[in-house]
Amino acid sequence: MATINLVDLKKSYGNVPAVKGVNLSVADGELIVLVGPSGCGKSTLLRMVAGLESVTSGHIEIAGRDVVKAEPAERDIAMVFQNYALYPHMTVRGNLEYGLKNRGTPRTEIDRRVNEAADILEIGQLLDRKPRQLSGGQRQRVAMGRAIVREPAAFLFDEPLSNLDAKLRVQMRVEIRKLQRRLKTTSLYVTHDQLEAMTLADRLVVMNGGLVEQIGTPTEVYDHPATLFVAGFIGSPPMNLIPTSALGTDGANGLPAGTDIVGVRPDALLIQRPEGPCIALEATADLLEPIGGESHLHVKLEGSGQAIILSVPGRPDIAESAHLTIYARPSELHPFSSQTGRRTDTVAKS
Amino acid sequence: MQTKRTIFPNKLLPYVLLAPQLAVTLIFFIWPAAQAVKSSFEREDPFGFRTTFIWFENYTRLFSEPGYVNSLGKTAIFAVSVTLLSMSLSLLLAVAVNRVLKTNRVYTTLLVWPYAVAPVVVGILWWFMFNPTIGIGPYMLRGLGIDWNHRIDGTQAMILVVMAASWKQISYNFLFFVAGLQSVPQSLTEAAAIDGAGPFKRFWTIVFPLLSPTTFFLLIVNINYAMFDTFGLIDATTNGGPNQATNILVYKVYADGFLGLNIGSSAAQSVVLMLIVIVLTAIQFRYVERRVQY
Repeated sequence: MATINLVDLKKSYGNVPAVKGVNLSVADGELIVLVGPSGCGKSTLLRMVAGLESVTSGHIEIAGRDVVKAEPAERDIAMVFQNYALYPHMTVRGNLEYGLKNRGTPRTEIDRRVNEAADILEIGQLLDRKPRQLSGGQRQRVAMGRAIVREPAAFLFDEPLSNLDAKLRVQMRVEIRKLQRRLKTTSLYVTHDQLEAMTLADRLVVMNGGLVEQIGTPTEVYDHPATLFVAGFIGSPPMNLIPTSALGTDGANGLPAGTDIVGVRPDALLIQRPEGPCIALEATADLLEPIGGESHLHVKLEGSGQAIILSVPGRPDIAESAHLTIYARPSELHPFSSQTGRRTDTVAKS
Repeated sequence: MQTKRTIFPNKLLPYVLLAPQLAVTLIFFIWPAAQAVKSSFEREDPFGFRTTFIWFENYTRLFSEPGYVNSLGKTAIFAVSVTLLSMSLSLLLAVAVNRVLKTNRVYTTLLVWPYAVAPVVVGILWWFMFNPTIGIGPYMLRGLGIDWNHRIDGTQAMILVVMAASWKQISYNFLFFVAGLQSVPQSLTEAAAIDGAGPFKRFWTIVFPLLSPTTFFLLIVNINYAMFDTFGLIDATTNGGPNQATNILVYKVYADGFLGLNIGSSAAQSVVLMLIVIVLTAIQFRYVERRVQY
C-alpha cells in the first residue's frame, strides 16, 4: 500500500522530448488510468515509474521514497505487460514463483501466496502448464497472478487488455476492476482505449504530446473537459466541436468572452424542441446509422456545411437529405477558445 | 489451407531441372561414399594390381591398433574443446554486442570475417604466429617463462590446433547467437528485472534457456565441424604430430590412405567416422532436443 508522486517528470530521447513535465499524485489504493493517443508519452511515463526507462529530470516517489536512481527490483512494484511477458520455458507455477524465489522468500510462504493468487484468479488447474498451452485470457490471468503474488506497493499495467478480443476485453476489464478494489493496491494503468479508461479509473489522466491535458474523475473529465483535446478524445462518438460562426447570432449569444468554438455531446443535441431556453440550428440529414438501442445521425449544418453527429434514442424515421432543426440547451454547450485550446468558462476543474 | 499450384504438363522438365544437383550429389558424394564402403571390405596389394575381399578384417584390425584408439581419444578431446571454446567465446561476444547492437554494425561485420577464411589459410596463419622459431606467440610466451614448441610438445600442439579451429568457428557461432539473442523479447528481461533478478541471473534463468534451440543447433554444427572440416587446418599446422598428438580421425584417414597408401584401412576409418557423426547427431536430436522444447 503506497502513494506515488511524480514531480515535474521529464524524458527526452536525444533532443526529442517524450514526456514534457508531468506532475501527478496517486493516493493510496487509487487506480489511475493514463489515457491518450499513441505517442503521447503515457507508456514512457509508466516505464519510468517501473524503472525501465531512465529519467531525464524530475522525481518519482513511491511510498515516500525517491526511486529515480533505484533498480526496477528495488521499487516494490509489479508490472503487467501488453504481451504478458510470461517466461515461455517455465510452467505457470514457475512464472508465479520466479519473483519470490529471486527475493529469497521462504518455501512455505511462496506456496501460500501462489495458491492464494491461483484461487483469486481461478488458475489453480493451470499451474503445471506452460504459457504456450494457455489461451489469451488465461495468459492474461497468469500475468496478473505474477503481479499479485509479489504483494507489491503498486501495480503498473501497460495496455494489458489490448491483445484480447473485444468480448474477453470487457470481461477482463471488469475482473481487473474487482481485483483492484479487493486488493486495494495503488495502480497505474495505461491504455489508449477511452472506454476502458472511463470504466476502470478512479481518476483519469488524459495525456497528449507528452503533457497532461486534464486530471479528474471520469465524470468530471466527461462533463467538463478542460481542453479542446480532451473534449474531442473522451466520448464516443466524439463531442461535436462547432465554430461559433456556424451557430448564428442566436446561438453565439451569452457565451464567455474569447469563445470561438463550442463543444456539444452528440446526445445533448435533440431533434425535438425541449422545454425551456434552447438554441436551434438548421441542418440537413446525411446518414442515419442505427446501432441498436440508439442511432447516430450525421447531419450538415445549413450555411456553414459543418458536419455534426447526433446520438438519438431509438430509430427515428429520417430520410437522407431531409431538412431538420436540431436543438441544444445552453447549459450543454462547452465553450472553448481555439487560441489557448482551453475552456473559456470557469466551471472547469482539474 | 488452399495453396496455389502451378502444373507443368511437361513430364521431363522437373527431372532436367533437378539433374545438375543430382549429378553433383551422385558424383561427388554418393559415389565416393559407396566406393569408400566397398574399399573398406577389401585389401589392395602394394602395387594396386589386385584387390581381395576380406569382410570385416580392416575394421577388426583398426580397433586393435593403438594408433587408432589414440586417434579416437584425440578426436574426442579436440572436438569437445573446440566446441566448448568457440561456443562460449562467441556467446560472450554475442551478449556484449547485443547490449549495444544499434551502434555496432561495424564490430559485428569485423567479427564475421574469420569465417570467410579457408581452413588451410587459418592453419598457416596460426602456424606463423606460433612458429617456435619466428612466431610472435612463442616470443611473448618466452617473456612469461613458457617455452613454446608445439613441434615437440604434444599438449601444446593440441592447444594450438584447438585455438586455430575455434577462432575460425567463433564468427559463425557468433552470428547465430546474436540472431538468437535478438529474438528473445525485451519485455521478458524487463519482467525479470522487475521480478528481482540481477543481470547475471536474468541471463542464466531467462535468456540462456530461451536460446537453447540455437545452442543445440550450434552444438551439432560445431561437433561436425571439428570432426570433418578441420583437415586442412591440421595439415597446415601440425601434420597430426608430434607423435600422433593431433592426429584426429579425419586427418588419420588422409594420412593412412594417401600418404600410407593403406586404402582399405583408410576407407574403413572414414566409414567409422561417418557412423560416429551419424550416431552423435541422432543422439543429440533424440535426447537433447526433447529438453530444448519449451
